[in-house]
Formats: sequence, C-alpha cells, structure tokens
Amino acid sequence: MIHQHRLSALMGVLLLSANANAIEIAFERDDTLPIIHMNVAIKTGSVSDPEGQYGITNFVGEMLLRGTRSRNKEQIDLELDQMGARIAIETRAEALIVRGSVLSGEIGPFLKLLTDLITQPSFPEQEVRKLKAEIVSQLLEERSSDASLSQKAFASFLFGSHPYGKPVDGNISDVEKITKERALAHFDRLFRDKQMVVIGSGDVGEAQIREWANALALARPGDVIVPKVTPPQAPAKRRLLIVDKPDRTQTQIDAGLVGVRMTDKNFFPLYLANHAYGGASFSARLTVEIRVKRGWSYGAYSYFKHGRQPRFWQYHLYPAAKYTPEALGHSITMLEKLHQEGISPDEFTFNQKSLVKSAGFMYNTPKKRIENALLERTLDLPDGFIKSFGPNLTKVTLDEVNAAAREFFDPAKLSITVLGTAKDLRDALIKNAGINPEDVKVMPYDAN
Amino acid sequence: MRIPSLLPVLALLIFGCSSFPKSSELPVGKFERIPLIGKFTAERTRLENGLTLVIVQDHSSPTFAYQTWFKVGSRNETPGYTGLAHLFEHMMFKGTKNMKDGEFDRILESAGAEGNNAFTSRDYTAYVQELPIDAFDLISRVEADRMVNLIIDDQAFKTEREVVQNERRFRMENSADGLMYQEIFGLAFTQHPYKWPVIGYPEDLERMSAVEARAFYTTHYAPNLATVVVVGDVEPNQVLATVKKNYGPLPPSAEAPPVSPITSEPPQKSPKHKTLKLNIQVEKLMMGYRIPEATHPDAAAVSVVRSLLAGGKSSRLHRALVDTGISSGVDCYDIDDRDPSLFIIASNLQKGHKAAQAESVILRELSRLTAQVVSAQELERSRNIMNFAFYDDMGSSMEKANFIGRYSTIAGSFEKGLEIFGLSQKVTGEDVKRVAALYLRPANRSVIIGAPKGTIPAPVAQSAGGGP
Repeated sequence: MIHQHRLSALMGVLLLSANANAIEIAFERDDTLPIIHMNVAIKTGSVSDPEGQYGITNFVGEMLLRGTRSRNKEQIDLELDQMGARIAIETRAEALIVRGSVLSGEIGPFLKLLTDLITQPSFPEQEVRKLKAEIVSQLLEERSSDASLSQKAFASFLFGSHPYGKPVDGNISDVEKITKERALAHFDRLFRDKQMVVIGSGDVGEAQIREWANALALARPGDVIVPKVTPPQAPAKRRLLIVDKPDRTQTQIDAGLVGVRMTDKNFFPLYLANHAYGGASFSARLTVEIRVKRGWSYGAYSYFKHGRQPRFWQYHLYPAAKYTPEALGHSITMLEKLHQEGISPDEFTFNQKSLVKSAGFMYNTPKKRIENALLERTLDLPDGFIKSFGPNLTKVTLDEVNAAAREFFDPAKLSITVLGTAKDLRDALIKNAGINPEDVKVMPYDAN
Repeated sequence: MRIPSLLPVLALLIFGCSSFPKSSELPVGKFERIPLIGKFTAERTRLENGLTLVIVQDHSSPTFAYQTWFKVGSRNETPGYTGLAHLFEHMMFKGTKNMKDGEFDRILESAGAEGNNAFTSRDYTAYVQELPIDAFDLISRVEADRMVNLIIDDQAFKTEREVVQNERRFRMENSADGLMYQEIFGLAFTQHPYKWPVIGYPEDLERMSAVEARAFYTTHYAPNLATVVVVGDVEPNQVLATVKKNYGPLPPSAEAPPVSPITSEPPQKSPKHKTLKLNIQVEKLMMGYRIPEATHPDAAAVSVVRSLLAGGKSSRLHRALVDTGISSGVDCYDIDDRDPSLFIIASNLQKGHKAAQAESVILRELSRLTAQVVSAQELERSRNIMNFAFYDDMGSSMEKANFIGRYSTIAGSFEKGLEIFGLSQKVTGEDVKRVAALYLRPANRSVIIGAPKGTIPAPVAQSAGGGP
C-alpha cells in the first residue's frame, strides 16, 4: 500500500513521503526542457551479495532489461529506442538503481514499460548465459584500466572480508556460477516496496507519478530479507599491497583509512580538514606539494566515501614510476603533519569560506537534487542533509577541525596500495613508506 | 585540461551548411536574440575590441556558468612542437602582472567557484567555471587579466611540463584505449595536424621552453580571438556593462594569427591496419573512417548513420556484435572537428573472440547499410534517440555554455549546431544510403587492433563489399 503526504517543497523539490510500510517518492516538476528522469532505487546493493555469489545484485539489475513475461530483450530494446528513452542499471554497495530518462511526450508508455521490467522479469536462460559472458569479458577488459584495478584492490585490502570490500560487479569465478534460480531468488529478496524509492524530475505532473508508483508498490509488497551490514574493523597497523603489473611507466597510489558516517559528530570538521589536505581544490596541500611544486603527479587528491556504516577516507596519486617512492613518502609525511599539527588558522578560514560559498552547487540543478535525494534515502540520512552542508560548515571551529584530525588521520594505520611494476619498486616503497617488510604483500594484477 | 578528460567531447550534434555572421559582423554593444532550446534564449553581442559575448538567462538558481573559448588547438601547432596548445593551457593558471602564482585559483575558490578548469582540443581551448552570482565582476576581471597579462616563468614552465608528461603517461602510455585513440589518428592522417595527439609527443614536450609558450600566447590570446559565454542568473545589460568595464580596455591582437600552414589530407585509397601489443586480456578494435568537417552538408546524415549503427541497444552494431556474443560493447563517434575528421567505431571483444572477427561483422553491416534503404521505422527510432540526447546534453548551465562555446568556436556560430540538429531530424533513408556509401566504404578505413601481449592476431578482415 502507498500513503503519501507532502513533506516540504525544497528548492522546488516536491517531497512525497510514505508511511512505515510504503514506497517512498520524491519528485520535482521541471518544465524547462521536454525531458523526464525517473529512478527506482532498492535500498541495498552489493553488500547483499551472498558469499560465493559476488556480483549477483548487479547481475539481477542488468537482467531486468533482458526479458519479462510479455517482452523479450529484443522487444524491450526496440521499445526503448522507439521512445527515445534510456534505462540503465547502477549498482552501488548499498543501492541498486534503475535509472530511466525519456522525452516527456512518451512518459505514459515509458512508465508502463518500467513497471513491467521491475515487476515481471523472466530471467530467460539464454540471456543469463549471455550476460554472464558479457560481464566476464568486461571484468577481463577492466584489467587494462590501472585506476579501476587499483581502486578495487584498495577497497579489498582495507576492508578484507567485510561487505564493503566486495567489488559491486563481482569476480569472474562467482559470476560464472550464477544461475537463473539464484538470480530469481535474489530478485525476490530485494524488490519489495518497503525498500523501494522512486526519485525523479522533469516535465510531468505529480499525479501521474503518484499513480504509477502506487501500482509499482502494489505489485511488490513486503520487506527486504538481507542481513544488516555491521561496522568494519579498522586495520591496526600500516600495510602495503603492491598490485604487480608489468611495464608501468606510471603507478596508481591509493592510501587511506576506514572512514566515518556522515552523521558522525566529527563529520563536518573532518570534511573541512580533508578539503585542506587534498579536497577538490587547486590550493589543497596535496595538489600544491605533489603537483604544483614538484610536478610528480598529474592528479593528487583525497576524499571520503560514505555508507550506512563508516566506509573510507582515501587519497589518490598517479605519479611517474620514477617518482613513486618519493611521492608516497612525502604524502605520508604530510599526513603525519596533518595528524599532529592540524591545519593553520589561515587554511581554516580559506577552506571554510570556500566550502560554504560553493555549497549551493551541491543542489543547484534538478539532476543534482535527484542525486542528493537518492543518497539521502539509500543511506538513511535526514531529508535535506546535503542542503545542510553550508550551514553546518559555517558552525565548525578550527579547534574542532584539529581535534578531529588528531583523532582520525592516523598514519600508523594507513592501508596503502600501489599498482606498478613490483620488481622496480618494492624495496624503495618499503623504505619510503616506513613499512615492515612483513606487512607488505605483492599480488599479480590479474589474480582475481 | 587540468584534471578531467583531455579527449575532446564526442558530441552527438553536428553542423549544417548555411552561412552565419562572422564575429566581425556582429553588432557592437547591441544584442541579437536567438532562441536556444526549450524556454531558453541566447543574447549575443560584440565589444569594440572584437570580443564576442553570448548570454543565456536561467534564473533557477543564484549561480552562473562562465566560459571563455579561444580558436586555438593542436591544429595550430607545428611538427616538433606538438602539445604546445595544451601545455600552454596549463600555464594560464600561473601568475599574471596583477596576481601571484596560485592566486587565480585561490581567489576563485574563496568566492565559491565550482569546476574551475580548462580543456584543449584539436580546434579550440576553453576555460570554464561556475560561480555564485555575487562573483560575476570578479570572474570577469580575473579572466580579462589573464587574457593579456600572463607571466610565463621559466621554472614554472618546466614544472608544468613534467605535470603534462605525467598526464600523458596517464591518458596514453598506460591506457590501452588512450593509446589506440592516439594511433587511429596517427594512422588515418598523413599530412594534416590532426595526425598528432592533442597532448603532444613526449620528445616534443621535452624540447619546449617558456620562449615558445610566450610566442604562442601573443599570437593566439586576445579579445578578438575569444568568445565569452555566460549562462545563469544574470541580466544581460548588467553583464555587458561589467564585461565592457573589464575587457573593453584590452587591445585586439595587432594582426590576425598567421594562417596556419595546414595541409589538406589527400584522399585515402586503401585500408590501413596496425596492431598494438598491449597489457590487455581481451582484444580491442578501433576503426576510423575519414568523414567531412563538422559544417559539411553531409554531417547531419553522418550523425544519423552513427545513431543507426550504435545509438541504442536495438542498433545494428549492438545487435550484430553484442547480442551475438562477439563483443561486450560497441560505440560510434562522428567527431565534429573544424576540418575533415574521423568516424570512429570502437569495440571490446568478448573472451575468446578476435578483433578481426568484429571487423568483418562491421564491414558486413556497413555494406548492408549501403545496399538497402533503411526502413522508416528504424529511421524514426534513430531520430528519437538523437532528439532525446540533444535535450539531455543541454540540461545544466555548463552544458548550454559548452554547446554555445564549442560551435561558436569551430563553426562561427552556435546556430549551426541548432540547425544541424534540425536537419538530422529530416534525413531520409536515401541520404543515409548515400553517405554510408561515400564515407564508410572499406578503402576509407584505418584500423587499430589491440591484442594481448604474447598472442598472434587473426588475419586482417576482408571487405564484404568486394573492394574499395
């Protein structure tokens, strides 16, 4: 059942919420262009993949587009292209999102198709086989992308067996084992109205969206039956994983710590401290020291990744292989300084002003507001949380920033991955990163 | 480009063939009003020093996008100095006579700037930002300042050259796709500057000094060589007054940039193939067909061909390659450059399949396109896909500004982009058949195969159409 009432109109966002047992909806009317974006999100993602079935949530999402009880894949593809519409799947650790867009004149047939895909998928055997082959090939192809390989290796190294360490698209051996029966069972667990969120914007009336969402909710009543994710354990000491790939003239360095929740009391002070260290700023310490002064790396930045539980804080450099040991060593020295001394009053003033002044760009377009609503609803954040960044950052003090930095940015617990050619780098990395040789692992880049 | 993609935007839109006013013909200090898209209208004018200004009002948030486009890219470089346009773009963030090194970024970040960046293509260089509305005078002032007052310091140039070498390692040397993209242009072009990569060759970058950068700045950066685009919560007369105040005193370049010694590319008479042995585990294929410039009368039909081949999952190549289990993905790009460029088809093979097999399938599909007139229903699907993409790519202020700046720079006016979009909706089946036969013929192709190291690539595919 669906029960809706208007909660607020925020920057033009019409928020329709629901009672405890119903689908949630957020829709913003935007008639400036004849186009509509509609997302249906399930509030769990790859963290719900059972052991030995990594990648199955992503697989189930993709299979929605490959056949229903009344349409085969070819008919679905033709129908979408005929409408000038797109539907794609995005799998996150804690969300599975069916993303749709369409010209506003086609919204009626588009919503009918979307309902069919989500409520009546048939998981044809032939398409299961074909999708498995495609994903396996994509995973093999991904091995040519150093940045992607390194990022996956870092998450796995930091989180170990915790669900946050799993790759959302799985690994080759698990994907090859997926069957129609397993996919159907997983679909049945995930797609329930209590875990569905409908979020969109565009040139269509609210009543039409409400009516459609109501039908969607009625077709999939119930709650999701997947285990809750527990907080990950932080590694106790500094460690290094070298992802060994031949002939690299450039490396990928990913280093970081288990992070904090966005609702943590230290979140906004740490957000500001991170901005000063390596945030999206050409005045940040990492950019200035690694790129501007020394020319070691084209990119040098840091960021937090968030989940319902603490995920990670990470910095990323991609220096020339010849500069890699020095760049890693210098970045750790900089982190030690941040940990011990915090940031200066000038840095605090500059970064606070910059973040507060630019906060409006987090929600200045309908597309961004959709993404914010998706994040808030799938991570159980308060409504309007993203819009609160400016006011919350205004209240943060220098003392709070530096106290949080002392508590959080502990370089002794850093997990580091370096994708490069191990034989050229191993000894120099150990020396420059100040790591015991027994805390160093070397893994072939094509091991998984 | 400082962080995001160096590769040029592979736009879905292309140009038409009618003539539009040159910047020197625009009214000075008076606005022309031109419908843009949906409820948006553009207003265009020119300062006395030749600066073109285009404004679009969008009052949905108290912000605006500000973009400055220059008509210079890697096409203006000379052999031995490839990559100079892009390396110079990096130098534009250094100090000026009025600002210390690093101050430009710091001032803008302090004002709340978002996406303060730049990018370089074969034909243009653009500097882009978004800002809160109270920073309009600020951005206009600092952009005007660096247009003429840049200081190109020797040491800063050397450090930035190393940053660009690292960018090159990132985008090319250690990227299979990047290397193949570089090589397809290198193979398809023998004379024209499009043959070299925008980021340049490493030995050329190493050879350059601040001396060349200073000469490049003097030649290519001046108000009469630029278009400023403003989209957002602004009022046109106020924008014009502020822009006049900050840019008005800048002198135009004393003389027009020298006509680049650009050699037209001779026609291709036979297919070309090259195999790269890479650190990859599935084969990759990239095919490039020589197509006319973005403003050519056939450009609209070429864009429809692109959509028919790979515009959606019901498209011909998706059906023939992905649905059959040969490839895991396929894409097409009709690159809208100022001079004749490439129509690129790229595909990643599935495990156990060879790039030559995919090439054969593509040749067969292209042959089919030239032999039979496409059905009305398929053509309508293709038009709908393009129609959707047109609106979807113009949603934000930055996207609208990008459209205006790009087409103003490479085609003389953004109306050409609008007109060609309109023309693409009228392309017929016969048009498709004709341009496919003219440009996508087997002899007109250059092919790069990416093969895993240690493997033997399959023999070159033969054309299904029986010869060139």
